[in-house]
Amino acid sequence: MARIGVFVCWCGENIARNVDVQAIAAAAAEEPGVACGVAYKYMCSDPGQTLIGEKIAAERLDGIVIASCSPHMHLKTFRKTAQRQGLNPYLVEMANIREHCSWVHHDREQATAKALDLIRMAVAKVRRDQALEPIRVPVTRRALVIGGGVAGIQAALDIADAGYQVVMVEREPSIGGKMAGLSETFPTLDCSQCILTPRMVDVAQHPNIKLYTCSEVESVDGFLGNFKVTIRKRARYVDIAKCTGCGQCWNACPSKKNLSQFDYGMGTRTAIYVPFPQAVPARPVIDPAACIRLTKGKCGICAKKCQAGAILFEDHDELVSEDVGAVVVATGYQLYQIGRPEGDDKLSGYGEYGYGRYPDVIDSLQFERLVSASGPSGGELRRPSDGQVPKTVVFVSCVGSRDNAKGLSYCSKICCMVNAKHTMLYKHKVHDGQAHVFYMDIRAGGKNYDEFVRRAIEQDGAHYHRGRVSKITEENGRLIVRGVDTLAGEPLTIAADMVVLASAIRPAERVEELAQKLNVGYDEFGFLSESHPKLRPVETNAAGVFVCGVCQGPKDIPESVAQASAAAGKVLVMFSHENLSREPEIARVNETTCAACFACRRACPYHAIDQAEIRDRGGKLIKRTARVNPGLCMGCGTCVAVCPSKSADLDGFTEQQIYAMLECLA
Amino acid sequence: MTMLDELHQTCRRLLEEGSVKVVIGYAQSAPDEPAFPVFIDDVADVGQLVWNEWCLANLTKYLLRKDIRALGKPAIIVKGCDERALLVLERESQIDRAEMVVIGMACPGMGQPPQAVCGGCDVHQPRFCDITIGEAAAGDAADTRYAELDAFLKKTPAERMAYWRDELSRCVKCYACRQACPLCYCERCIVDKNRPTAIDTSATLKGNFAWQITRAFHLAGRCVGCDQCTRACPAGIDLRLLNLTTAKAAEAHFAYRAGMDRQAEPVIGGYSEQDQESFIR
Amino acid sequence: MSETEAIRLPSPPAPLPQRGEGSRDEKRLPSSPDQPSAAAGGEGSVFEPKIIAYVCNWCTYLGADLAGTNRLEYPANVRIVRLPCTGRIDFNLIVKAFEIGADAVLVSGCHPGDCHYTAGNYHARRRWILFRELLDTLGIEMDRIHFSWISAAEGKKFQQVVSEITAKTRQMGPYRAYHEICQS
Repeated sequence: MARIGVFVCWCGENIARNVDVQAIAAAAAEEPGVACGVAYKYMCSDPGQTLIGEKIAAERLDGIVIASCSPHMHLKTFRKTAQRQGLNPYLVEMANIREHCSWVHHDREQATAKALDLIRMAVAKVRRDQALEPIRVPVTRRALVIGGGVAGIQAALDIADAGYQVVMVEREPSIGGKMAGLSETFPTLDCSQCILTPRMVDVAQHPNIKLYTCSEVESVDGFLGNFKVTIRKRARYVDIAKCTGCGQCWNACPSKKNLSQFDYGMGTRTAIYVPFPQAVPARPVIDPAACIRLTKGKCGICAKKCQAGAILFEDHDELVSEDVGAVVVATGYQLYQIGRPEGDDKLSGYGEYGYGRYPDVIDSLQFERLVSASGPSGGELRRPSDGQVPKTVVFVSCVGSRDNAKGLSYCSKICCMVNAKHTMLYKHKVHDGQAHVFYMDIRAGGKNYDEFVRRAIEQDGAHYHRGRVSKITEENGRLIVRGVDTLAGEPLTIAADMVVLASAIRPAERVEELAQKLNVGYDEFGFLSESHPKLRPVETNAAGVFVCGVCQGPKDIPESVAQASAAAGKVLVMFSHENLSREPEIARVNETTCAACFACRRACPYHAIDQAEIRDRGGKLIKRTARVNPGLCMGCGTCVAVCPSKSADLDGFTEQQIYAMLECLA
Repeated sequence: MTMLDELHQTCRRLLEEGSVKVVIGYAQSAPDEPAFPVFIDDVADVGQLVWNEWCLANLTKYLLRKDIRALGKPAIIVKGCDERALLVLERESQIDRAEMVVIGMACPGMGQPPQAVCGGCDVHQPRFCDITIGEAAAGDAADTRYAELDAFLKKTPAERMAYWRDELSRCVKCYACRQACPLCYCERCIVDKNRPTAIDTSATLKGNFAWQITRAFHLAGRCVGCDQCTRACPAGIDLRLLNLTTAKAAEAHFAYRAGMDRQAEPVIGGYSEQDQESFIR
Repeated sequence: MSETEAIRLPSPPAPLPQRGEGSRDEKRLPSSPDQPSAAAGGEGSVFEPKIIAYVCNWCTYLGADLAGTNRLEYPANVRIVRLPCTGRIDFNLIVKAFEIGADAVLVSGCHPGDCHYTAGNYHARRRWILFRELLDTLGIEMDRIHFSWISAAEGKKFQQVVSEITAKTRQMGPYRAYHEICQS
């Protein structure tokens, strides 16, 4: 006969307010198979857990039910409690009488009745739990970092410095991400490239880092500790091993008027190009859409000029395979595409700001390039339309952010600081210029951030107007910005030479595709989902896959770097063990009764079921059967549902357990 | 030469040259009675094989029986509907076509008087056999295939429930339907499982409903419409209606008919991102 | 420690419904706020539907947790059975729920494309499409079986779905047709 212990938590008064915890502890004790029923104020606390441990020993319990909060909260906690007392941690179940009961039902009688039902179900379940042992899995101690921006670079360096190999995959021809294109960074006004490029070089030269640029992750197979990643190396058309970076090719290239992606369209480049002088690798790439040889079959001057014979017009995409044990996703962001025709359907708005219509209405990343010393105008701020130096520049906050109606509902976090920075950069370049900022709020919560904004206003003379901009039009070569100053209570119109829109930041393009390959969740905006917003911000629900940087949510550089190190830390925890433990709540097949129809094999999302043969000692085939690979099974139970003979079952959620739980509700 | 003569000649040849060890076919004890299965392993007995409108049974069931397998490599006589079962069994790893010789017989329809269900058949001519005897018009009854079901669905839900209460009250849980069906091959059927008892084995309405729902659902996208189950049921329950339901659903939603296309992916165990979900909120 | 322990008291205090006492229809539960108590109806009782919800651990269960964290109130009739994935839910669990006296069943999981196990919900959806047709032919009341996609961020949706199902089932009354089958 079972000896189950039922422990009912008051949770302070979170549960006790609406559920009669004493009564249900007493009633639970009367249930068949229950040896004791105990109520306590805080089960998860130290004395609470000690109480559980004492009862396990004193009452010789062979299973426990904790009636308290959600298992997502504390199931692991209580499993450890049991383990410390020598009780198998998988003989622990929880009844969620808080999130699913006391917090949502305020009729005490009903809530108490439901709580008792939930406890009965948990008792029925735990009575049929099996003692399970974690599955040991060897781990490949190599990491994959997807994305070569500042976050990816930080994570890669941390892991590589710890002595493990890192494979970094970057979509663009160079690493560096958005930070490489910035002019200066807040709140210190450091030269962005000056602080980033040494780390980029570290990555390139690190003996433990293998860098793939112009590459993307094609597919990911396997599981925690044992991922097999297929990487698509896109055709670069240049052999970077032979290339010396001498520049003869791009100096000779006749296809010159291509918009530069690195300059966000503010400048041009040749068809064969290095994205920026400090690129890593500092080797060119050919844009196949702009190259005359690749599109029309003519020219080929670069190949003639190249002394190293590094031009490869016949280059093609290549698929390579890498085995890794952990994946860090650091794919960064893009800006909300305002009013551009190819933008997202559900995000189309702000055409009234004239972006795309008036060349002098630009977004913040474009402004960074215009003021950047390595930018298209060599650091002199000249406006795109006529090259004149703008004397009045308006910066508009919250374009696309914080807007439920036609944008994104969230705050992009960095734009207030970016605007302040831009007003200061502008003032430093154009001493007689006047910066105006239309803002809703000022969000400057970081270290020295508020002081920075004050500097922009008090020392660099930026005019801040609290209000939104309704419309931007052009009259006589000037941009008429119509807005409102809510503090003064009046509409405000400014005639500007240039307008900079602080557009919302969004996750990078096609990140959802990547997330699905990795089995990582994402929210409605595409930001990758962390396991827990407060307590596990860099892990995902896909074991062995971690996130850092803006791909997880809007944040600035210090936070991205901190998260990157955090993710690296998690990877290093994984790598500190020779073997990893896998949760043993996985499927198993009763090989005696299996009819070998292999419906389970077809259905399994992880290809975790194999065809196996059972032979006698003479080698004669007795029968064939399906067999679950415990290293691959993730415990979803799809196989159980499709099995016609119900030979497949799922430890921790067996057919017997579910039926027993239902029966006790009859 | 008649089809029967050709059949006899073929079977004698196969046995004489040793290509097969046993022929699974039809025999009769009297001319106007349903044929029963025979297992001929001697050339001298080939004359027992018959071929006429009484060859209702689906012989593919016997391919999975251990005692029949022990007889050696078989030749099996199938009609178009039986052949569909072979395709499903092959897809589900139950048979290996290389281990048998399949003799397909063109079939204009079975039964005396002709069965209604044969009127709706579109596989009068077998398509994937090793040896095919006879020729029949393929038939195309797409619009009448589910006529019986469509007529039934004109009843209100309450009427339908009353109908099934009546029908299933006669079920005695003999499991003849399961034994007769070539696609019910699980050695330990789910109804025989008692930890937990998924299906009440007693012949009460509760147990009968649970059993029939389970069996019908396990045949979703697999039933080939050979009608063995309906013929075998001693209580005369209209099992065909239930099987037609899931067959129609598989065809309507997933353009899939069991046993028609050797390459098609089975319905259960697969999915499409485009599967319709108007009923999911 | 001063906190109380309650072990084997002679009898549980009064308000708990005793198992086996009276038929389910006469459960002595007071009406919930959104419905006036039915003074008529014989014994002054109100029909409280029994609703079983099979939910997936990663989406709907967390969505229900979120409803709890946000203190979104809903009727107390639902009993959640937590499963790793909707892919685990076979049709016989739905039949079993009705067999033990449920008046409505909810099956809920992750939105298509977001399944924690990548494809479990796709498999489930395919089964549901076929199973509904079968139930329809049998004359089983389709209005008593509900399917939904509720993500971990949709606490409000969980509250709404459960509230609507409870209200609707209350209106429809107990599922006598199937319960009678199971008792005969």
